[in-house]
Amino acid sequence: MSEEAVIAGAEIAAGHDGAAELVLRLRYPGGTEGVVVLEAEKGLELMAACGAAHLDELAGHSWRKLLEGACST
Amino acid sequence: MDLTIQRRFVTPMAGESVQDIAARALPGEPLDSAVDQIRSWNLHIFAMRKPAGLILGSDVVFVEPPRR
Amino acid sequence: MFDVIVRNGLVVDGSGEAGFRGDVAVKNGLIAAVGTVSGSARREIDAGGRVVAPGFIDPHTHFDVQLLWDGAARPALEHGVTCIVPGNCSLSLAPLKAADRPKVVGMFQQIEEMPPEAFTQAFDWTWEDFAGYRDAIARNLSINVAPLVGHSVIRLWVMGEAAQQRTATPDEVAAMQDVLRECLKAGAVGLSTSFVDLDEHGRPVPSRFADFPELDALSAVLGEFGRMLQCVPEFYDVDITIARIDQLSELSLKHGIPTTFSPVFDNTSTPDNAPRILARVEEQFARGARVWPQMQTRPIDISFSLLRPSLFFARLPRWVRVLRQPLEARLHALNDPETVAKMVEDLGADGGQRMMGGLIVRGGDAAPAQMVGRALGEIAAERGQVPAQALIDISLEHGLDVAFLAADMGHEATDRIGPMLAHPLVHIGASDGGAHIASFSTYGDTGYLFSEFVRKSGGLSLEQAVRKITAETADIWGLEGRGRLTPGHAADIVIFDPDTIDRGEERPVFDMPGEGMRYVRDARGIDTVLVNGEVAYTAGAYTEARSGVVCT
Repeated sequence: MSEEAVIAGAEIAAGHDGAAELVLRLRYPGGTEGVVVLEAEKGLELMAACGAAHLDELAGHSWRKLLEGACST
Repeated sequence: MDLTIQRRFVTPMAGESVQDIAARALPGEPLDSAVDQIRSWNLHIFAMRKPAGLILGSDVVFVEPPRR
Repeated sequence: MFDVIVRNGLVVDGSGEAGFRGDVAVKNGLIAAVGTVSGSARREIDAGGRVVAPGFIDPHTHFDVQLLWDGAARPALEHGVTCIVPGNCSLSLAPLKAADRPKVVGMFQQIEEMPPEAFTQAFDWTWEDFAGYRDAIARNLSINVAPLVGHSVIRLWVMGEAAQQRTATPDEVAAMQDVLRECLKAGAVGLSTSFVDLDEHGRPVPSRFADFPELDALSAVLGEFGRMLQCVPEFYDVDITIARIDQLSELSLKHGIPTTFSPVFDNTSTPDNAPRILARVEEQFARGARVWPQMQTRPIDISFSLLRPSLFFARLPRWVRVLRQPLEARLHALNDPETVAKMVEDLGADGGQRMMGGLIVRGGDAAPAQMVGRALGEIAAERGQVPAQALIDISLEHGLDVAFLAADMGHEATDRIGPMLAHPLVHIGASDGGAHIASFSTYGDTGYLFSEFVRKSGGLSLEQAVRKITAETADIWGLEGRGRLTPGHAADIVIFDPDTIDRGEERPVFDMPGEGMRYVRDARGIDTVLVNGEVAYTAGAYTEARSGVVCT
């Protein structure tokens, strides 16, 4: 088991505002899971940061990828 | 009815940084490691928010990973 | 002599008891008699074959601005809604100093998507305090309004710019308590706060800068009046939502106030979320807390155009690459036959029929009228194309400004949601009426409740459904004298056909100030709506009645 949280899966879901959102399942050391929801821009940035051409390719990447490109403005 | 145990959290005190919260919530942990853990457990603050990492007075800051 | 008698209807009085054949008499704006009514009235309405019910109450709306030029909150009233609660999500139009108006207008535009003319041309902005706003809307109401006051505007009133920068000092908190007290005296039915909303610059709204002691202090004032605390939690994360439930419960128990939070969705991607939320709510109610989760009836749709990248295409890497490019490069790629051929090929043998054939062309943008409301698959077939090719070509033909809608993409599992809506601790609401107006329709959720969950699935009985959105809502919010067909109660009445009540198809209209566009849904199966004893809507038309009040 990984010593840090990793992306366990990703799905597209309908957001409250009518936009498609990226729903990520994060698996933490110990096996428990949390959910992170990203809007389109951030979700597509994450896919690029992970070099993922497909949602399924996000699995296994570190939670730290979520911090890359996190908007700082 | 007793309340079932849910994920533990703290709320920020005025002016607290993530380092302050990490030191308060995880006192036995080296600071860098504590900050790292706090970040990984609170991606609603550190990844989803603009600007990322802006800590708000109303925030729920988890001090442990998900329980399920 | 009564003013009105509604005769021969199936009276479903809001109590949840079985409906009965009978009459409802009205005098001086109140229900005067229910049962077999003898005597006469100035106006008699035959309700044979129809249900006669209390007017519906919508507890989560954003009609704050619209009410200043449209006292019926169209089309809410024609759906049978006789009372709305605006001022949700920490935002209201009072108290608000003149100098702070632009800031709050920006926040409202973010949520409501109203055109700027709605704030500059449609009304005279004469007030600063809550009583002033109350009086401004009260002049022209056809619908009843139970307004919340927003935490963000109270903060802004007291702290100015600092409201969006820091926590408050004890003096500032005390000043906010005084302001809230004045608002409640002037007719606010509670305080709204938000842990989620953003302003037009993407910055958290002022209420999010408040610490828990501030919310506790404001709740103490709510406790003086026994009034509601409404909040928007981080609904995308169940652990945070449960933490908010616990915070609200603490405030409810400490100050003896009702609290409510919304929205609660049930999504297949996170199927445990709603059940966990309801389980926590049950635990907290068992301790004596009042923490009402609001759940909407309607499913969530996804809408997109090729003007902006959408995650709708996230399973199509080539589409993502093309659509993420700057506009000029994107247009170049979409006009390149080789690239487009590959994009279409990516959809497989059916050319996108399965993924895209059911998309609806929305309208309200550059889409030609003959396509609006129709399925892409059908339009593609007419054009002799596969859906993926048609989507690209139609977009290119109209400057990419054509929106497509994927319906029922979330909160759509009727068999799961029906039992949740019927749950005694679930508060049906969260319509968001008057918000997101250029993105999707927030009207007709009550019609959908009856068509989908009463008629189609049987998840709720007719009487249960009526009770949920009338008497139960009035009780939760402490709206005395409303929500029941009982002598002495306000004569807010809706007469509808139980076999046809529904929401119409979503359609764009250009009826906002400045010819601004919004999506609406017409009502179906609603015959007549009375507000405080006067007929406000009948036979498909609004009347001249202005009998709505600011109610408490």
